[in-house]
Amino acid sequence: MSLVRSLGARPACVAIALSLGLLCNAAAARPLAAAGDLLVTGAKPDRLFVIDAATRTVRAEHRVAGANGQIFTIVISPDQRIAYLLVDRMERILGIDLASGREVFRADLSASDERVKDFFALTVTPDGRELVVYELPTQLKPSEYIVEEPRFAVYRTDAGLAAKPVRSYPAPRRVHLMLMRPNGLSFYAVGFDLYEYDVKTGKLLGTRGIQKWALADHSQPDLLAFWPVTEPTGVFTSPVYSEIKKSDGNVPMTALMSLNLKSGALSYADFEPLSALIFSTVLSPDKKHAYGVYTTLTSIDVEGHRLEKRVPLDHTFYAVNVASDGREIYIGGANCDVGFYDASSLEKRAILKLPGCSDQTLSTLRVIHDR
Amino acid sequence: MSIGFVKNWTLVAGALLLGMGCHSTAQAAAHASGENLMRAYCSGCHQEHAGGLERISAIRKTPEGWIMTLVRMRQVHGLVLGEEVRDSIVRYLADTQGLAPAESAAGRFALERRPNAKDVDLGPDIGVMCGRCHSLARVSLQRRDADEWRKLAATHVGQWTSIEYSASGRDRPWWQIASGPQPDKLGSMFPFSSTAWRDWQARPARDLSGAWVVVGRVPGGKDFYGTARIDREAGGDYQAHYKLADIAGFEFAGDSKAIVYTGYEWRGSAQVGDRALREVYAVSEDGNRITGRWFDADHAEEGGEWIAIRETGPAEVLAVFPQSLRAGSTATVTLVGNGLGAAAASPLSFGAATVATHVQREAHRIRALVKVAPDAAPGLRTVSAGGALGRLVVYTQIDQIDVVPGYAIARVGGGRIDPVTAQFEAIASTRLPGGELLGLGPVEAEWTTSAFDAEAKRTEDEKFAGHFDKRGRFLPSPAGPNPAREFSGDNVGNLTVLAHAPDGKHTVEGRGHLVVTVQRWITPPIY
Repeated sequence: MSLVRSLGARPACVAIALSLGLLCNAAAARPLAAAGDLLVTGAKPDRLFVIDAATRTVRAEHRVAGANGQIFTIVISPDQRIAYLLVDRMERILGIDLASGREVFRADLSASDERVKDFFALTVTPDGRELVVYELPTQLKPSEYIVEEPRFAVYRTDAGLAAKPVRSYPAPRRVHLMLMRPNGLSFYAVGFDLYEYDVKTGKLLGTRGIQKWALADHSQPDLLAFWPVTEPTGVFTSPVYSEIKKSDGNVPMTALMSLNLKSGALSYADFEPLSALIFSTVLSPDKKHAYGVYTTLTSIDVEGHRLEKRVPLDHTFYAVNVASDGREIYIGGANCDVGFYDASSLEKRAILKLPGCSDQTLSTLRVIHDR
Repeated sequence: MSIGFVKNWTLVAGALLLGMGCHSTAQAAAHASGENLMRAYCSGCHQEHAGGLERISAIRKTPEGWIMTLVRMRQVHGLVLGEEVRDSIVRYLADTQGLAPAESAAGRFALERRPNAKDVDLGPDIGVMCGRCHSLARVSLQRRDADEWRKLAATHVGQWTSIEYSASGRDRPWWQIASGPQPDKLGSMFPFSSTAWRDWQARPARDLSGAWVVVGRVPGGKDFYGTARIDREAGGDYQAHYKLADIAGFEFAGDSKAIVYTGYEWRGSAQVGDRALREVYAVSEDGNRITGRWFDADHAEEGGEWIAIRETGPAEVLAVFPQSLRAGSTATVTLVGNGLGAAAASPLSFGAATVATHVQREAHRIRALVKVAPDAAPGLRTVSAGGALGRLVVYTQIDQIDVVPGYAIARVGGGRIDPVTAQFEAIASTRLPGGELLGLGPVEAEWTTSAFDAEAKRTEDEKFAGHFDKRGRFLPSPAGPNPAREFSGDNVGNLTVLAHAPDGKHTVEGRGHLVVTVQRWITPPIY
């Protein structure tokens, strides 16, 4: 955190900018008004923003060379200094020092004869030493493509700017999310089902149903969550859509999936007949509420399995996160607005327009919680 | 690809005109050149195999399909070809690895860029696997054996990672299906080898030079007719010179330069009046009829039917304008066709209870003032002129208006992507005493919209989505977030189309359905 905060003074920013060719927003010159959350988001074509939630100001705007158009998944290192970014059309992982904007890690997944895409899924071990990346390889022969089997590839985070995997092991197709367990021994991979793999050996430790879930009278569910947002609770949540079969026809329902990374507890519970699409959700610090976002902002009573409140938004937002103290909801993704909403009333408190108004598209909105 | 693709394709079509011929000696020379160029530029990656080039020699496609292939080779693999080289290769491949007329018939609407056409039905499996992104016409316009279809599936995975994750992909083991049973099925439905193609390749080439009679439709506007003089150039391509008139009598001229691929695929770039047009026509097997669709060079949704027959052909009425007359009315009727009888004494009849006066005869057109008796029985009349027969309907009242198309899509636009309009017509029918409905053709109508359902009413789609012009063409609103709408929504809409056609003191209402939706960002020649 101290490194990030060092950007609060204009001289520091100017000095770094001069030496490293960074961009500094004028807002970064303001001193940090109060301790609080910092938000991290990306925007087209190559911007990584660090935002002070308390003052609604951009604290750092880093130009990410090699982003090549868009920043997809953002994973924060356990020490909260490095943001690992999936970029370059999903073919490159970059580690960016959040304070300086300096590139400290680079793994180019593809080679001249093999195109490797990572569909959003990557995770970092709790000790910060290893990145596990989901890889979808295609062999590029002169006149045809050969589809190869997916794999999990493990990179050492200290491998520098030409990182190569230190080991890899087979993975199922169609994985779109990975979540490291806090003991660092295994991680979850989310795809057709919920898989758990041993970090060291790649052994499949278990499979639990997503498509084969066990909710009575429900159709096959649909889940496509690809942002590994588990802060601040260590619990991952996602909307899940299915139809419940009734005698007079099928009724579309929205459920909340909840996965506790520490305990492994997994649950699904319908909370409303589908009335508004929800793109992503986050769990409140007290775990009593989940907040969902798309064209509306939704509050869900997690224990009561019911819709608490819903308000329309100014436009589409894909990404949602929550303040460390649970009092505010942060929304981002799509367009250049980062919104600050009251967690109780769901009323809008502020909108921060990102410099240059570049589109966040499918960048993860992460929160670094002040400690 | 987006609009650039269309412009590139247009460029290709235009540049192809400078290339070489495809008939007899010229054709042989062009093929030799095209084959050599293909080997020179493609064999670096597509190696020689069993007398052909890997992949390339295992596929048959339409001219547009091969153009798209070469555009993709440029965009994805950096293949840089000069225009003439590219055009020669396309011509060679379309001629030697094209589709027979019977094979392209089902998907012609896609080549002709017909808006709101009903897609071909290839069954639910292929409908989901391919149809969730492409028209199924695009699938039906390719020929490959199972192994080559399987390689195409691999290309999709390597090129578009999200294919396994997007809707109707993630709900199934997509790759297992796409690499397993699906290619076998496609290979049996659309195999590389076919009797139709072998027979087509064996047929004699047709020379389209000569004089032709033409009729063109203009949905929502004035249909036209006239003559075309088609000349074959030394290289085997064609120039056409049009002398045309619309049904109101306004005369205009045009010229077209065209290539005929595969022996029947006429692709012309025309300047008609002040409009740049594209012509996607098919030549009949006997070489005596050319049919298809013309459309605006920049707005493919705006266009109409085209039919041309040789002047030397048998007696035939191509068109009767208008298609119907009200009992008790007098109107100018125009017949267009062959063998209508140019001599003053030639027989001419518009059927029972009609009288024709002020008859003007030309070689391929008769214009007459036709009076229908007030007590004329409603029904179908046979029009006879010389040895040609046509049809005309006499009616007393309009009983039904069908909005055509009954369901249409328009797209908001602006900036990089132009809006896509939707043209409607009010097609009238009368009910005969026996209860039978008889079509009267298009009639003028007043065009309005209303909300299609309660949700469209709540979101005020009618207010935001666009408006009609007087000719039944819906003009969508500009694209982009609209802060005045809920969620800053785009100017999309779900609308009921209302056509009110006057019929004496009354009006008759017809209804259709219009969805105004977002831009199509990828606009290749075949969707």
